[in-house]
Amino acid sequence: MDLGSQQLRDALAAQYVLGTLQGRARRQFERQLERDPALRREVARWQERLAPLDEAAPSATPHARVWRSIARRIAPGTSSAGGLARLWDSAGFWRGAALASSVAALALAAYLAALLPVTQPRETMVVVMADDKSTPAMTVSWHTDGRGDRRLRVRVIGHQVMDPGTAWELWMLPGGDGKPVSLGLITTHETQAVEVPAHLLPAIDAAWGLAMSVEPSGGSPTGAPTGPVLYKGQCTRL
Amino acid sequence: MAEPEILADLMARSALKDQRAFAELYRHTAAKLYGVALRILRRQDWAEEVLQESFVNIWNHLGEYSAARSAPLTWMTAIVRNRALDWVRRPNLERGGEDYDLLLEGTPDEGGGPEQALADSRDARALARCLEQLPASQRQCITLAYVNGLSHSELAQHLREPLGTVKTWIRRGLERLKSCLDGPTD
Repeated sequence: MDLGSQQLRDALAAQYVLGTLQGRARRQFERQLERDPALRREVARWQERLAPLDEAAPSATPHARVWRSIARRIAPGTSSAGGLARLWDSAGFWRGAALASSVAALALAAYLAALLPVTQPRETMVVVMADDKSTPAMTVSWHTDGRGDRRLRVRVIGHQVMDPGTAWELWMLPGGDGKPVSLGLITTHETQAVEVPAHLLPAIDAAWGLAMSVEPSGGSPTGAPTGPVLYKGQCTRL
Repeated sequence: MAEPEILADLMARSALKDQRAFAELYRHTAAKLYGVALRILRRQDWAEEVLQESFVNIWNHLGEYSAARSAPLTWMTAIVRNRALDWVRRPNLERGGEDYDLLLEGTPDEGGGPEQALADSRDARALARCLEQLPASQRQCITLAYVNGLSHSELAQHLREPLGTVKTWIRRGLERLKSCLDGPTD
């Protein structure tokens, strides 16, 4: 779909949100949305502009059967993916581990942003990684769309000890149904840098978050996390 | 915590496949989202179906939600609205009744419409003010389309105006709405 001018893009985004973009044009627009982040932003802006109209919608309690059906459909083991993906989803891998409270994470993210060089107007992604008690334990930051700069800046908070014979492996969590992707091994040093593999460069800017797992020395033998996840956190764009 | 922060927190935990957090998210939002679906579908069985599909969809796509782009409830509402619109535009599907006016004039005020029932938030006041500045025909088209999910041809039929006229009203109305909401700098 050739969307042409900015004016046309905006008009289509508006009619998409309003609901008057219909039929085949609507389907085409949705396909374009999947590969056009700028268009997604236009749509999000129109959603925010018109959202107050939803506030006026009368609330009505749906029948209890609605939640029962949803709960059945999202229960572990109902996913069509098998093998590793299912293990990842259902083995309690994530459960019981809370995210860092958003207030603490944001405060730390803002503090980190202040430390970063501000000579370039590029955006920075910050991940505050916390343990299962929501205590921040390390931070990772990088410049998005960093042409030539492929380093993740890793800061390990406090003096931490790695068990002998083990390694710390950093993982990118793509979000959705995506499986974790290894970013390589890190150390316990307070400041360090991790070079992002070239093929992960566009993906990491869109990642949902990062995690760190304990692996046998040399890293995970399977390409997926095998040991306990010590820390994890969600990406925040600054 | 304010409501959007509670929702954002529940969404973050649900994205990690925490089903209890997701149940809580449902408890906080289902009534509102069901109301949104009902306004478009006007049948409980359809609205329940759409609500169920939407929440399964939300569960599967929470990882793609970006807090920087939209508020949690706005993001969820968009999913419900899209599902409801897809449902109602299936071929050979007839929605019963022509009672849009009743739905529109739920408030007793003169020239009533959903814009008058807008909540007291700053965004809502701004939207209400900008809707008021539109000619009545444009305002009516935009609110009927958004709130009740009417298509161009349904609007033309309902307002007894030519299709081309309705399309022009919508297009001009959206342009004016945008420049009013974004201010003179945009």
